[in-house]
Amino acid sequence: MTRVNVPVVMALSVSLAAGQGRVAPPARIVSFTAQPSSIQPGEAVQLSWATENPNAPTIDPDIGRVTARGSRQVKPAATITYTLTMGGPNNTSITRSVTVTVAGAAGAPAAAHTVKSDPRMPDGKPDLNGVYGFAGIRGGTPPTLKPGAEKFKIVRGGPGDVRGTTTLGTDCVPLGVPQSFNTPYPFQIVQTPKMLVMIFEYPNTFRMIPLDGRPHSADPDPTWMGESVGRWDGDTLVVDSIGFNDKTEVTGYMHTEALHVVERYHRNENGGLQYDVTIEDPNVFASPWVMPSRVLPFRPELEHVDEFVCENHVDYGKLFEKR
Amino acid sequence: MMRQFASGLIALGLVLTPVPSFAHHSTAMYNMANPVTVTGVVKRFEWTNPHAFIYLEVKDENGKTTEWSVEMMSLNHLKSYGWTHATVKPGDVISCTGGAAKSGDPAMISSLMKLADGRMIKS
Repeated sequence: MTRVNVPVVMALSVSLAAGQGRVAPPARIVSFTAQPSSIQPGEAVQLSWATENPNAPTIDPDIGRVTARGSRQVKPAATITYTLTMGGPNNTSITRSVTVTVAGAAGAPAAAHTVKSDPRMPDGKPDLNGVYGFAGIRGGTPPTLKPGAEKFKIVRGGPGDVRGTTTLGTDCVPLGVPQSFNTPYPFQIVQTPKMLVMIFEYPNTFRMIPLDGRPHSADPDPTWMGESVGRWDGDTLVVDSIGFNDKTEVTGYMHTEALHVVERYHRNENGGLQYDVTIEDPNVFASPWVMPSRVLPFRPELEHVDEFVCENHVDYGKLFEKR
Repeated sequence: MMRQFASGLIALGLVLTPVPSFAHHSTAMYNMANPVTVTGVVKRFEWTNPHAFIYLEVKDENGKTTEWSVEMMSLNHLKSYGWTHATVKPGDVISCTGGAAKSGDPAMISSLMKLADGRMIKS
């Protein structure tokens, strides 16, 4: 049986979703509850909601953007009404409210859900903990290839397609760096003073980035996601990575195990991460390839990334038109 | 012949032309230009990545039952539409609208579903 890996449309797919006469099924709020709905000061309430076909659901006050379904614990200091709002047809809004009654006078601390604009770690470094969206990395100006390195350029489709069935993100293998930021799935940063962990929802991969000042290993074994070390340059996180295998793509090009990636992450005023990356591979590129700056948007509605395990390997080849 | 058989199964009730987006792979193996709607009884719902699947028992006008494989989006996307693993269950009668396999096999990718109680939801 022939397995056919079909071309990926990951980055394009999101923009294609809009328009084109699509008939959208109606958005609706299935439920929105507060349990319990009456509390003593200082006690917690669980808000739970479920929507279908939602358009940008939010809960106000204090919470902001939320996912289609979810729950959140709140500790209101005084009686309060929470309203779930999302876009409906013809620019209308669909809303539903719940009121939490707090007995007695105020005095309990307010809910701690307000997002600080510039959160910091105890050591004063930027606190980047949170979930971020993808960037749609583009190479910008094509890199200058080293003479003889034309074979590393990826050609997809047609008779010249020699790498079309690899590195496309359709086979659920790790995507490497910076390609991991080029999928329509979020990633999460878990940060401690000495280690920063990136967890990529697709395809269930992670990067461990020590922040303790250690140098790279002398000769790291090749891995899909490479070996990274991080340091702070002021408020900018600089991540230096080597030790990659040669099985992943870098935005249109294959590379060798000599790949060296330097990334800079700097939080902007919206909570997103300005992402600057420079690619070096002396076997492929004539000079460092500086990619255009991108922003990895902050996704405060996502408390964590989800599991993504590829398990249904479908033989799509047989579904194509018979020749 | 297979293709004729498949097209005979297709209900014409819904006039919708969804233009889905798919995150994991292209839809080149499906006929997206002419969306179809297939109605049947849910046999199995696979809550899986990279795509979820519903297996649907579809009866033609002669009473013959064929099992259709209905591909959906990844779980990440389905959750953003409000799906859970319990949104459909075996025995539900649902309608799936999307592109059928160009091969004529009883397979499709669905971007819109009508659930057992009539709710419409992106898929």
